[in-house]
Amino acid sequence: MADLIVAWLKSTALSRLVIETPLMWPTAETLHFIGVALVIGIAGLFDLRLMGFMRQVPVAAIMQLRPWAAVGVLLNLVTGVIFFAGTPEQYIRNTAWWAKVFFLLVATLNIAFFETRYGRRLLTMPAGIDTPASFKIAGVVSIVSWLAVLYFGRMLPFLGNAF
Amino acid sequence: MTLADALAWIEGTAFAVTLRESASIWAYPTVLTLHTIGLAVLVGASTALDLRLLGCARAIPVAAFAPSFRVMWIGFWINAVSGVVLFTAEATTKGSSATFVWKLGIIALCVVNMWVIRRVVFERPAAPLDAGALPKLLAASSLALWVIAIALGRWMAYA
Repeated sequence: MADLIVAWLKSTALSRLVIETPLMWPTAETLHFIGVALVIGIAGLFDLRLMGFMRQVPVAAIMQLRPWAAVGVLLNLVTGVIFFAGTPEQYIRNTAWWAKVFFLLVATLNIAFFETRYGRRLLTMPAGIDTPASFKIAGVVSIVSWLAVLYFGRMLPFLGNAF
Repeated sequence: MTLADALAWIEGTAFAVTLRESASIWAYPTVLTLHTIGLAVLVGASTALDLRLLGCARAIPVAAFAPSFRVMWIGFWINAVSGVVLFTAEATTKGSSATFVWKLGIIALCVVNMWVIRRVVFERPAAPLDAGALPKLLAASSLALWVIAIALGRWMAYA
């Protein structure tokens, strides 16, 4: 199955474009790191507020930065697809890559669950008061999973044996 | 002792040799990963502040970003230390690479820019913190300089 996916991806025009365009890889990596700064910078701010830091700032105010976090996510999805299409064999059997995907899912499900469950309370929470334990837990889970995504992403060439 | 001799000496120390040749994931890979985490902390905190100074998320009081400087310094020191350690492993190639020297120069400008933002925006008692064009200009140059620093850092791995 994995071999079929690798073979198919490598036969695509995108894959050839990625491999054959000079400077494609460092350019995509640079954009990927800019995306990292946007996501970790903004998610980190949000998570720290959930954990009870910067209480003078209403949570809803920090959420105004979220379109920029979304820009970061988009940058990283696009460049991520570029990496994967270019050399799928480096990722598909790589434990570190699957760990990275796992923690991406944890981060996404955590915030989706949290907003579904506490969204209204979150948006109307005024400045100045401490956050309840449920908010603190969601903040810690988020910040830890984003750092795990970063860890397994950077350790991709070293933890797996596919490189 | 010339610069080349000094770089060769650094690269030949037991520390540098072990770092370079160890197969352990706790050696070179972990230091490299710390360098990436420091980047995310430093550039991430800087980017959030820069976006606010440029006029995004106006509901956040600029003063609330005062603790960001401590976060940025933590990221900076993680990267200064991990950067020096990484440098020892490849002192002769990095030390003679123009890309590397440019990267250090740009990062020095980033730090000066950060320091000026602190002085101009956060230590000005009377005026509203983000009043005038200067904070916007400093935020824009901060974003641009970090993008260049990241690009040069990535280019180093290929040049």
